[in-house]
Amino acid sequence: VAQYYDPPTCFTIRNEIAELATLRVGLNRFCTAHAVAGKTVTQLQVVLDEIVSNIIKYAWPDGGKHELSVRMSASAKSIQMEVVDDGQAFDPLTARAPDHTPPERRRRPGGVGIHITKQLVDDISYFRDHGCNHIVLTKRYDGSGIQSQEN
Amino acid sequence: VAGSALRIDESRSGKVCVVAVGGRIDSTNAEQLMVRLKNLLASGENAVLVDLSGVIYLTSAAFRALLVAKNEAERNTARFVLCSVLGQVRELFEMGGLLDAFTIHASREEALARLG
Repeated sequence: VAQYYDPPTCFTIRNEIAELATLRVGLNRFCTAHAVAGKTVTQLQVVLDEIVSNIIKYAWPDGGKHELSVRMSASAKSIQMEVVDDGQAFDPLTARAPDHTPPERRRRPGGVGIHITKQLVDDISYFRDHGCNHIVLTKRYDGSGIQSQEN
Repeated sequence: VAGSALRIDESRSGKVCVVAVGGRIDSTNAEQLMVRLKNLLASGENAVLVDLSGVIYLTSAAFRALLVAKNEAERNTARFVLCSVLGQVRELFEMGGLLDAFTIHASREEALARLG
């Protein structure tokens, strides 16, 4: 079990696509603080956009105002992002690989995005707890920033 | 991160409308790209070249925008091609299984030569 050094950084946003900007800026700051390399930051940004936009679009079919949260934490070797929402149960791991149906005609949400996400992270897990979906994304990185903190 | 905002610049090279896209394309702005491309095709352009050399990264929202534009082009019997899909952007196309979904040229020059 990886040890996470700092208290996690938590962001709560409304279920609106524009709110993703808050997460993007927050993730950039978080990665800067942990000396994450540029390419890894970009990959984490893609993952966060895919996962959170999927939740915003599909978790609450009846619409309305809702919130979701993203908790970011770092160990010496990996960055972890846990995305929590209280929408309908949806396990992204069961989403199928993309087919050749144009996205606007697909019934199942998130095909391509989830497929990309799975390739960009080292681990993705899902569980449902107390009426909430939890998606936990883990990505290894070269944590030189963390190591200098230890010394 | 001001440098990562989406930029869309149109120019013309003969009969080809060149759309140079730069910055990041994600779910917050992909709609802008889709609308621009659809409008161009609706206005009667029959050859649209999207140059992705300036793109830092993109998400599946960008693929959706490009696929919608491609379908629109097919309906109008217009040509819709991409060029300069490089580095990390190319990796993302590959991961999404989308390299085969589009006509992609290595450079703008090559694309223009083929379209012209």
